Amino acid sequence: MPPLTEQSYWQSLGELAGSEEFKKHLENEFRDIDIENPSSVSRRRFMQLMGASITLAGLTSCRWEKENILPQAVRGEGVIPGFPRRFATSMEIGGVSRPLLVTSRDGRPTKIEGNPLHAASLGSSDTFSQGAILGMCDPDRAKHPTADGKEKSWDDFFAAIKPVLDAQRGKQGQGLAVVSEATSSETMAWLREELRRAFPKMTWIEWEPLGLENVFDGTAMAYGAPHRPHYDLRQADVIVSLDADILGLFPDSARLTRDWASRRDPDAAMNRLYVVESAFSATGASADHRLPLRSSQIASFALALEERLAGRTPKAGVDAKAMQFIDAVADDLKSRGGRVAVIAGPQQPAIVHALCARINDSLGAVGDAVRYTAETGRVATGNAGLRQVVEKMNAGSVEALFVLGANPAYDAPADIDFATAMGKVGTSVHCGLYSDETGSRASWQLPQSHFLESWGEARAWDGSWTLRQPLVKPLHDTKSAIELVAGLLGRTEPTGLELVKAAMGAKLGTNDFESRWAKSLHDGFVAGTAAAPVAKPAIARFEAAAPGAISTDADGKDLEISFVADTSVWDGRFANNGWLQELPDFMSKLTWDNALLLGESTARGLGVDQGDMVRVTLRGRSLDCAVLLMPGQAPGTGALALGYGRTKAGTVGGDGEVDPVGFDAYRLRTSTAPGFDVGAKVEKIDGHYPLATTQEHHAIGDFQDTAKGGIQDRLKQLYRAGTVADYAENPGFANSAEVIHHPELKSLWKEHEYDHGHKWGMAIDLNKCVGCNACVTACVSENNIPVVGKSDVLKGREMHWLRIDRYFKGDANDPQAVAQPVTCMQCENAPCEQVCPVAATMHSAEGLNDMVYNRCVGTRYCANNCPYKVRRFNFFNYHKDLKDEKNETLKLAFNPDVTVRSRGVMEKCTFCVQRIKFGRQVAKNEGRELRDGDISSACQQACPSGAITFGDLNLAGSAVAAKHASPRAYAMLQELNVKPRVLFLARVTNPNPILVPKAEQKG
Amino acid sequence: MAQPIFPKWLNSARLVILAVLAGGPVYAVVLLGYGASPKTLNVGYQPDQPVPFSHKLHAGDLGLDCRYCHNTVEKAYHAAVPPTATCLNCHTNIHPSSVRLAEVRKSGETGEPIPWVRVHKLPDYVYFNHAAHIQGGVSCVSCHGRVDTMEKVHQVEPLSMGWCLECHRAPENHLRPADKVFELAWKADSEEAQIALGLELKDKHNINPSTDCSTCHR
Repeated sequence: MPPLTEQSYWQSLGELAGSEEFKKHLENEFRDIDIENPSSVSRRRFMQLMGASITLAGLTSCRWEKENILPQAVRGEGVIPGFPRRFATSMEIGGVSRPLLVTSRDGRPTKIEGNPLHAASLGSSDTFSQGAILGMCDPDRAKHPTADGKEKSWDDFFAAIKPVLDAQRGKQGQGLAVVSEATSSETMAWLREELRRAFPKMTWIEWEPLGLENVFDGTAMAYGAPHRPHYDLRQADVIVSLDADILGLFPDSARLTRDWASRRDPDAAMNRLYVVESAFSATGASADHRLPLRSSQIASFALALEERLAGRTPKAGVDAKAMQFIDAVADDLKSRGGRVAVIAGPQQPAIVHALCARINDSLGAVGDAVRYTAETGRVATGNAGLRQVVEKMNAGSVEALFVLGANPAYDAPADIDFATAMGKVGTSVHCGLYSDETGSRASWQLPQSHFLESWGEARAWDGSWTLRQPLVKPLHDTKSAIELVAGLLGRTEPTGLELVKAAMGAKLGTNDFESRWAKSLHDGFVAGTAAAPVAKPAIARFEAAAPGAISTDADGKDLEISFVADTSVWDGRFANNGWLQELPDFMSKLTWDNALLLGESTARGLGVDQGDMVRVTLRGRSLDCAVLLMPGQAPGTGALALGYGRTKAGTVGGDGEVDPVGFDAYRLRTSTAPGFDVGAKVEKIDGHYPLATTQEHHAIGDFQDTAKGGIQDRLKQLYRAGTVADYAENPGFANSAEVIHHPELKSLWKEHEYDHGHKWGMAIDLNKCVGCNACVTACVSENNIPVVGKSDVLKGREMHWLRIDRYFKGDANDPQAVAQPVTCMQCENAPCEQVCPVAATMHSAEGLNDMVYNRCVGTRYCANNCPYKVRRFNFFNYHKDLKDEKNETLKLAFNPDVTVRSRGVMEKCTFCVQRIKFGRQVAKNEGRELRDGDISSACQQACPSGAITFGDLNLAGSAVAAKHASPRAYAMLQELNVKPRVLFLARVTNPNPILVPKAEQKG
Repeated sequence: MAQPIFPKWLNSARLVILAVLAGGPVYAVVLLGYGASPKTLNVGYQPDQPVPFSHKLHAGDLGLDCRYCHNTVEKAYHAAVPPTATCLNCHTNIHPSSVRLAEVRKSGETGEPIPWVRVHKLPDYVYFNHAAHIQGGVSCVSCHGRVDTMEKVHQVEPLSMGWCLECHRAPENHLRPADKVFELAWKADSEEAQIALGLELKDKHNINPSTDCSTCHR
């Protein structure tokens, strides 16, 4: 293979090195099958089996099974059987509510979308909320109260807890401690104060392993009181992210992503994003410039930037590469008249947040792109509170412990041993969705209602008051946390609804309450409750520690480990969700595991390679885990995602019988350095660990040419990108002769005309896509896509209809990364259709490439002939678990509008044909023609950045037609003349000319 | 001596082999014929219902509109079987104590559904849309027959894919004016008149039933 030039894309380090493994993937999409020797079943045996099945075929199902129709005795108002209804609700993670709109079918939730009325969502959503449907239906959930493993009733619990509470009442609750997950619920706040009145000396703390204490502590340093930062990226010309994954895992990231993307149109003034981070994040991939830097040097970076902005030379040693970056960023920031935002990530210490606040203030950004709201009424959170409780527990002074929704026995810092301390508590009660690490140690495990089953309310990041309403009656004998606390107060009667109404009534006043309530319930939030920003707060004086040196070079001796939130399981709470576990990470493309991410040079220095088992030792604690090589990981650093290695998650994420998924990074994470820590030792130990990454799967390439570098040539055509300068010079650069070179295209067939009727098409704007996976999860939920498990992912059998290809460009230690969602292109000259022997894939008059499951006999010819590698084959009946009685609830997670496929059937993206049909029916019912925007595909609807556009190409003025007409629009593999209906809009970056070497200025 | 090519037991098995060779084609013909016969496709299927509800009495003799009970048929995929409450709208006053209505009263009191037995069933991979057909001008009678004359409902048409396509390819045989859709007894004067009317309606309402796979399968 010829050496890679700076200009070409590559998919993985395996490809870069021309590894055998990668070649195998290229040659064979489903790699465990030997192409040359088709089958171990002999021809004779095959004939015998076929003969037998033909004979038997006639004997089955001579009659339909008798089937009952069970209409409701009384049908609710407005209910139409089989017709979807939508209800607004919200999901709270870490005290921040995500406004949602949930589709309900025949009394159960089937699909989750963002709430289009709420500014935090405007209809878009994220992976965690999309996956909640499966979370609710999880058969491993705790189903009834248990005491010491024995099934009990709620009455038993309240009877048993009464004497405990009565004893505490005498002591004013001195021995009572409550550890709750973070919540912004006013109902909970009110009940908490009620409880405090009854037990004035009780301890109540909130615990979140991925809390936001640093953000509030930092603003408290800067402004004298905790403030909540809000960034209006529509108003920011330059954005600097300091270890902040603003477009991925960040509070309010849906809004941030949308606002950022709104400024990525090369026909208007584009923003510019600088990212300084250690681990490659989705934000880093979207950046115009990224500087891989140790997380521990980011504080120094912020100080140096501040110094440089003030016109002084940074005091400490800054190496040339970092200095060049700081110079460029500082000059850029200063030249924008305050239309800038400098943002720090929550894992960075408070001082970095304070510095960002001061920088934003000095640049005049506060009030426009950066705004603050007052943060009041915060409960003690974070490590300090948890440490206090655990000390009390160890001292034996906690007699009754209540854990509400949290799981500190698993996710407490390694130096705060909550699990052991639980043994010293008289009565411990855990209320949670699962009998997890904490619940299984508690004397009482109480099952908590899922958010889709309960009433509640919480605050969105902007402070607006969002409501939560149940979509279904609790599937099991569960209560919500507010119902439990109300029960402890002796309020056994009120339901969640009554509690929420009481709490809201107290805040909103009785005047006209019912109509306000009804409207708020309908909208999903109380109108006009978003917090008003404080007028420009005054910066307080604070001193930062002396800055350290900034070095962008590898330094293997003093390895830094950063503990990052996971894109699939967050802090571990979604570990039992198969949809999320099987989701490839944004950047590493790793499924079903976490791993120690190391940069190539760092790994080489440590003498380890991909898949090696290593022992990481940090402050005397050690963890055995696997290594994954991650291009762009800052030299001298390693990243470990939290949330894996669960031992009591369930049958998906690991329980007593099922091995834990991944490695438990919490065992290394201490309260003194929860974000990152320096001084780790990594030594290679025996063993090789199979890592199910999808990064090399479904590679598009000409394997015969691989040796000649054929795939490198092709990647440039698959993913087309340029700079604003290129775009200004030639808006059609993506289709210029430099990129595409093929003879005149002639069809072998007489082509169908699509000049009347609908002509469905899609456009994907690569300039907006951040690779966040929301679309992939939405597709899984909408289209009943099965979870195949790690062993099948290792064989390249993941079933996702929509995948996000991630390519790198440039030096393996500091590459650029790009994301490209690839789905069925619905080719007009579809190569799959021409090879199907049974006409199971056919073209519709509207240009859809229909897939008929009940016709498919599983030859897989179509997948072989698909140049985009988007067809997925059911190697097994991935739904056979459903026959198990204990998995009955899982059936509720399916979309009734889409066939559940069985073994031996090919499947692929249908452009959400069920949504097309439904949209058409609604239009017909209303007696009108379809309008643009009536129909949205699931991926489009979920996308926070608006990168995906779907619609009718024949409809004049439709958004998708406009995008197809864009000069940036290009067809992937157009030289094959398959005429895809999905066009990509080439990426146009906005690099700072100072930072781009002359030779590279033309992308 | 050379070994015989065929083993000895084949002599006695000859009869069996001959029988299979002779019987095979017959078996195949019978199997296919049986598989495709209307009987197998459930034409005439007439299960007993938990309540001896007479469509003949209600829809025929009393002249109730189909939509009084199947009120979702114009809007939704399902022509939903009515809730018990619909029955009780009348039957709290009419025959309030009839033995035959015991099941209905029980359901009304307990809220438990009446377990009606499904007569017309399509495979799970078929997504049939009632509303689209009704709005297009296809009458109930085209698929369900003269329900208004049935004491106990049975299946009249084969409901096979071929049968569906017959109409999708030539809808003029079944299209009728909107006001006649629920008039089961209505018929055009002659077959020619029906076709002429059908073609006119097809043109007027721009009815082009699709024969794409995804129309019904997805």
